[in-house]
Amino acid sequence: MPHVLTMLQCPSCARRQEPRIICSQCGVPLAADLDLFAALELPRLLQIDIAELESAYHDLGRRIHPDHFASAPPELRDASLRATALVTRAYRTLRDPVSRGLYWLDLYGHKLAENNKQVPPDLAELVFEVQEQLSELRSARGEQEAGTRETMIDLRAKRASLQGLMDELYAELVENFAGFDAGGGPDPDRLFAELKVILSKIAYLKTLLRDIDRELDSIKAE
Amino acid sequence: MTHIFGIDLGTTNSLIAIMDGAQPRVIPERDTGNVLLPSVVALIAEGGAYVGDHAIELEPHLRRGQDGHVSAAGLSSGQAAIVVRSVKRYMGLGGSDLAPEDRHRYAFADLSAPTVRFNVGSRTYTPPQISAEILRSLKQRAETSIGEKVERVVVTVPAYFNDSQRQATKDAGRLAGLEVVRLVNEPTAASLAYGLQLNAEGKVAVYDFGGGTFDISLLNIKGGVFEVLATNGDTHLGGDDIDRALVDWLLSDTQQELRTDRHVWNSARRAAEDAKKRLSDADVTEVRLDVAERRISKTLTREEFERIAEPLVRRTMECCRRALADAHLQPTEIDQVVLVGGSTRTPLVRRQIGELFGREPLCSIDPDQVVALGAAVQAGVLMGTQADVLLLDVVPLSLGIETMGGVMERLVHRNTTIPTSTTEMFTTAVDDQTHVDVHVLQGERELARDCRSLARFKLGPIEPQPAGLPRIEVNFLIDANGILNVTARDQRTGREHSVDVKPSYGLTDEEIERMLEESIDLGETDIEQRLLINARNEATQLLTALAKQLKDYGELIDSEERLLVDEAAAQLETVRSGDDRESIARLVEQLNDITTPFAERIMNYAISRALEKKSIEELS
Repeated sequence: MPHVLTMLQCPSCARRQEPRIICSQCGVPLAADLDLFAALELPRLLQIDIAELESAYHDLGRRIHPDHFASAPPELRDASLRATALVTRAYRTLRDPVSRGLYWLDLYGHKLAENNKQVPPDLAELVFEVQEQLSELRSARGEQEAGTRETMIDLRAKRASLQGLMDELYAELVENFAGFDAGGGPDPDRLFAELKVILSKIAYLKTLLRDIDRELDSIKAE
Repeated sequence: MTHIFGIDLGTTNSLIAIMDGAQPRVIPERDTGNVLLPSVVALIAEGGAYVGDHAIELEPHLRRGQDGHVSAAGLSSGQAAIVVRSVKRYMGLGGSDLAPEDRHRYAFADLSAPTVRFNVGSRTYTPPQISAEILRSLKQRAETSIGEKVERVVVTVPAYFNDSQRQATKDAGRLAGLEVVRLVNEPTAASLAYGLQLNAEGKVAVYDFGGGTFDISLLNIKGGVFEVLATNGDTHLGGDDIDRALVDWLLSDTQQELRTDRHVWNSARRAAEDAKKRLSDADVTEVRLDVAERRISKTLTREEFERIAEPLVRRTMECCRRALADAHLQPTEIDQVVLVGGSTRTPLVRRQIGELFGREPLCSIDPDQVVALGAAVQAGVLMGTQADVLLLDVVPLSLGIETMGGVMERLVHRNTTIPTSTTEMFTTAVDDQTHVDVHVLQGERELARDCRSLARFKLGPIEPQPAGLPRIEVNFLIDANGILNVTARDQRTGREHSVDVKPSYGLTDEEIERMLEESIDLGETDIEQRLLINARNEATQLLTALAKQLKDYGELIDSEERLLVDEAAAQLETVRSGDDRESIARLVEQLNDITTPFAERIMNYAISRALEKKSIEELS
């Protein structure tokens, strides 16, 4: 979503400036419409050091949090509230690589398909087996069967390999981020397409892992 | 700038505190030196109220007259009076929200009303009015001691208090002539006091077991930043409930009519509470009670007491486990456990905490005072004297709106850091619709009807336009007090929409726990329901879109193909309103497949029309 560059006027010191999270002259929070990177005063880079991100969040928090404007005039109190809500959302979104990637797509006008019913082709066989096992366990619920126990053990092993795949995907994500930060190369569209594929796969695997965990937990509970 | 004072408005006791240089201190009653003010209020019908020890002194003198009215024999002319304990249990609730045992405790006017009202003679009092008496008493105490007017305060609330309970607390402040600058969650306040006094860092669990409520909060303290990771609790679980269980044990051999006598019950409660306290140090104690003309005398061992209290304490441990799960932490990853509230003095509680977290809990700060001290620290932050402290609290329960099909769509997840805001886009469903209704909910269930209604509002008036065209941006902002603020804006014109909010009355104590508990057990059933509703919606949309396409582009499909399409549509229509989600999904896919060639033809046609138009424009 491109942001129109309109000048802001600081309600406290009247300084006119480009949209920022805090006034460049007097440091009070401004109720500006900013993207999440700008909100935390970070460059538009996908590779983020989490410790530095947390530091930026805390430092900024100390300067803009409503607790520090309890006795300020209403306009400033309001700006503090809105700016802090934005900064909080920025921190939450950028802290997790997946939500960060999704935001990046959104920021540059790309959309990730909402309903991910497409099975990633290279996972199709594994996924099919897992679904069968889940189905078997669901219908055998409450009954003690030797076959069920075997299925459970195999399912646990499959879960472990799915987690391994998930870890690989996260590594791919990091590489993709590095690609963007290096300038995108000759074909930035390819990077966006690749990002979408990785995020789709991660989302799919997350749902699958959740279904497996739910089934295994309910068996444990019996 | 005037001082801001910190107030712990507790179920059993209330306190007022202030920053004294770098450390907070509690302000005592000048004559007695007492720091605790019992949250007991005696209300006299002709007007007037007594708070604390004065109210307690009045309690045994209340007599039930022939007409059933309770009056104070010790007062001149036997005026009607009541003594209200634990008024916090009634704040922000309507009659229908009350727990059964709370409903019969006092004489109430009209239990069907949205706000509970206590009857005293011909007058009624609301819980905020009664709490205001406690606040006024604390205000006087501080003014007498410090010699300065008390106008601005920080007041603490259980982390689990909902929107209307918080609002009721602010109202109480206003009624007492105070400006409540901030509401702070009790466990968070305790962590501030603890963090400041001991210069502590690391992962801290605050276990707050008071008179009426239980809260567990997990925080990360680092470099002056107090960040709440997760919070959980039970707003209907406290020392009062342990007392109640003890009273049942004490009166178990007594006749039914005596057990339900309010006067007898109050005496029994006092005896039980004292016995409970003695058992924190002793292994066995005698409990004596004079009822009617008899004396009841029973021996209570610590073992027996623990057997009675165990189920209640176990519930607190369940809350702890849920909070740990939400924070993705193992119990052993917690560096320190801080105890808050008088009920943590029970050896059983300390033992179970030690077992869960694998370490001895910390109680170097008086568990009765730590919340008030923390409130004073927060007051210091607000005055600007604690520039390094940053408090990042969370919202305890998810917030969302009701969407198509009766589904609860979560906009803000529980344990999200506040302040937080989220924006949703709304539009109209029919042509010329003048208003859009929005229903805001609180809770963890999948269906709207299983969550608690927080507020309903209408957006508008909207200018007459075709359906789907208006774009109204609604912003849901949860402020630093944990209270929801809603604003709306027409995206095209930038004009603010009026938002006429009608607050429903929020969660009952029981419903909060019930919601969380049920959402874990019933999570799966709920998800099935939700998937079914999504499948039905998808089917409906597909059939509606197809009907329109057949109407507008009928000539692009021949009769043979049309027959196949019609049949597939009919099959889908048959299962659409049923419960067989798999069949719906299968038939949706089938219909999509069969209509793909038709859809492609429509697209090609549309493109060629567009190109045609363009060439004509270019020519002319």
